[in-house]
Amino acid sequence: MNLLEYFRNDKEDILRLWTGAVYAASPFETKGLLRTVTDPFGNPGADMIREAAGALYDAVAGEETTAADVKSAMERFVKLRAVQQGTPSQALGVFYLLKPVMRERLLPHCSTPDDVNDYLTAESRLDSLALLAFDMYMAARETLAESRVKEIRNQHAQITRWARAFRGGSFIAG
Amino acid sequence: MAKLPTPQELIATRPPFPKAHWLDVKPEFAPGCFCYPAKKETMELLHMPNPHEWDPAADDWGLPENWEQVLCDAFAERLEKHRSLKLFMDICVRCGACADKCHFFLGTNDPKNMPVLRAELLRSLYRRDHTMLGKILGKAVGARSWDKSVVKELFYYAYQCTECRRCSLFCPYGIDTAEITMIVRELLHEVGLGTHWIMDPVKNCSFTGNHLGIQPHSFVEIVEMLADDCETVTGIRPKTPFNKKNAEILFITPSGDVFADPGIYTFMGYLLLFHELDLDYTLSTYASEGGNFGSFTSFNMAKKLNAKMYAEAERLNVKWILGGECGHMWRVINQYMDTYNGPAPANMIPPVSPVTGTPFANAASTKMVHIAEFTADLIYHNKLKLDPGRNDHIITTFHDSCNPSRGMGLLDEPRYVLKAVCNNFVEMPENTIREQTFCCGAGSGLNTEEIMELRMRAGMPRGNALRHVQQQFGVNHMACICAIDRATLPPLANYWAPGVTVSGLHELVANALVMTGEQKRTMDLRQEDLPGVDEDEADGREGGE
Repeated sequence: MNLLEYFRNDKEDILRLWTGAVYAASPFETKGLLRTVTDPFGNPGADMIREAAGALYDAVAGEETTAADVKSAMERFVKLRAVQQGTPSQALGVFYLLKPVMRERLLPHCSTPDDVNDYLTAESRLDSLALLAFDMYMAARETLAESRVKEIRNQHAQITRWARAFRGGSFIAG
Repeated sequence: MAKLPTPQELIATRPPFPKAHWLDVKPEFAPGCFCYPAKKETMELLHMPNPHEWDPAADDWGLPENWEQVLCDAFAERLEKHRSLKLFMDICVRCGACADKCHFFLGTNDPKNMPVLRAELLRSLYRRDHTMLGKILGKAVGARSWDKSVVKELFYYAYQCTECRRCSLFCPYGIDTAEITMIVRELLHEVGLGTHWIMDPVKNCSFTGNHLGIQPHSFVEIVEMLADDCETVTGIRPKTPFNKKNAEILFITPSGDVFADPGIYTFMGYLLLFHELDLDYTLSTYASEGGNFGSFTSFNMAKKLNAKMYAEAERLNVKWILGGECGHMWRVINQYMDTYNGPAPANMIPPVSPVTGTPFANAASTKMVHIAEFTADLIYHNKLKLDPGRNDHIITTFHDSCNPSRGMGLLDEPRYVLKAVCNNFVEMPENTIREQTFCCGAGSGLNTEEIMELRMRAGMPRGNALRHVQQQFGVNHMACICAIDRATLPPLANYWAPGVTVSGLHELVANALVMTGEQKRTMDLRQEDLPGVDEDEADGREGGE
């Protein structure tokens, strides 16, 4: 079996372990809900993790996929991490929790230098995906900053307009 | 060898097994997690107790020396006054039905944002002083003592609840966690702890009648500007009657519709609709605010700010009040106004639509009708000439604002109106709408920009459902009937479902409304070109239904 086949065989197990590690970063009392409720709207956070995990894993494994597809699948999850309390490294470090799981489950199958090379290539793909996630994280933070400015402007939009008209002498009360 | 943290060490927010009991894990006051404090002079002007300067990020919040006594007395007083509070403290069996229903919990993963545990923060204090078991067994039965970190914790979580009441929908006992939050906020105000975003509008409302403190003459001038904009779009300058005595109807709406984008387009919608109906109505420069931030402060403050509605109805000698699209304004009207300031003045009568003759029996007591009901009745009786094709460029969904939906059961009227003025309407998933609607994440005075991150995570369940219909059905618009929603949903939509615009219901009504003598409509109320409509096409569509 080549490495891709091992990836495919162990997909369910590895994803369970990885998502479990992500859930474990949440407080103890929260983990149960994240793990057990599968309604995508009743437990959207876990749905976001599941969607991101599936696409991320396939991309790391080397399945046919595009950066755009993986980004689209990871977007909700990264956006959520970008607004949850914590440092940027805490937000995105979750992707690297896949590495120890992969090393435990897949690396032992790599008996030849070619296998090891393939494995290292897969890990490098994970690194690239984490960088893609970093781009998305920063874009999300930029959106937040823009929203703050826009909101301050909108709150007083009519008063500013009124004041300008008044100052310019062009305003005539109806 | 370099000693660096592993990814596991980096991301762990706390150990897998908690070292401390959940009640002893204290929140971290990081920027973005708390609202700015109210100014001392604001609190003084409002005669609030113990006004002082303080900083939520600081260790010392400058509480008065006898803070514990103040809080214990205030809590005991409220337990005496509100039997509901005492019940809510006693009857919760901690079944957990509410636990995963809170948008704050779903977005933050913080267990103390489970409604049951948020309430437990207060309930643990209740047990110590007001239950026999708590007095004897203390911590063993979940009782605890007041200390300053508990006060901070109450502040942290009372302002991470939007009082949306989604949790109470699922509670088998009907415990209203929103009312628990209200009480906690009341208690905090007793020791001088309030937020700027709430108390500043409360102050402005107290002195000038509206949230931004706009003087009457300026208020009128801004409305006139909006009437000018209506004329630009329709060729008709709607009437703007102010303080007209003996008018049949007094119209009150949140001032955000007059001052803030995109609420102004909803206000323009009202003006055009009323003009077309030739409604005998008046606006008021005194009751120039429907919103009631007093309801986020204390029951007494809510009562005070609400009083101007009936006072103005009496002064102007109107028969009844028509209320605009607002959330918490309607909660106050529907649930509290009768008790606060009722009965309605003697000059008022049970509302009857002057256009259709429909009596609004549901408003017989308050004498105040929601505009969605009013317009739905007009459409039902075929009193409006509508061209929903003008809204064909949008595929809209509808966000049930928490207060009108759960607080007063206004579920079908806005949908009826929306379907009449838009040909493309799509519902969001069933467990995110109607009674089960998810909050915008910023109600109850939390729509301030310093907590934008918190709002985005709290609004995530709503944003997620919106994104779903955007991707599945091409939804590009979300209508709502709440002024706070109109302010908070645009950034939320822009974050979770970029490309979706937000508007009030009556903006869409006015866009579709075919008015007598109007010019060819080539643009909508936002003065954006109607796609695919040139002057000739507009000609052909005039009068279409």
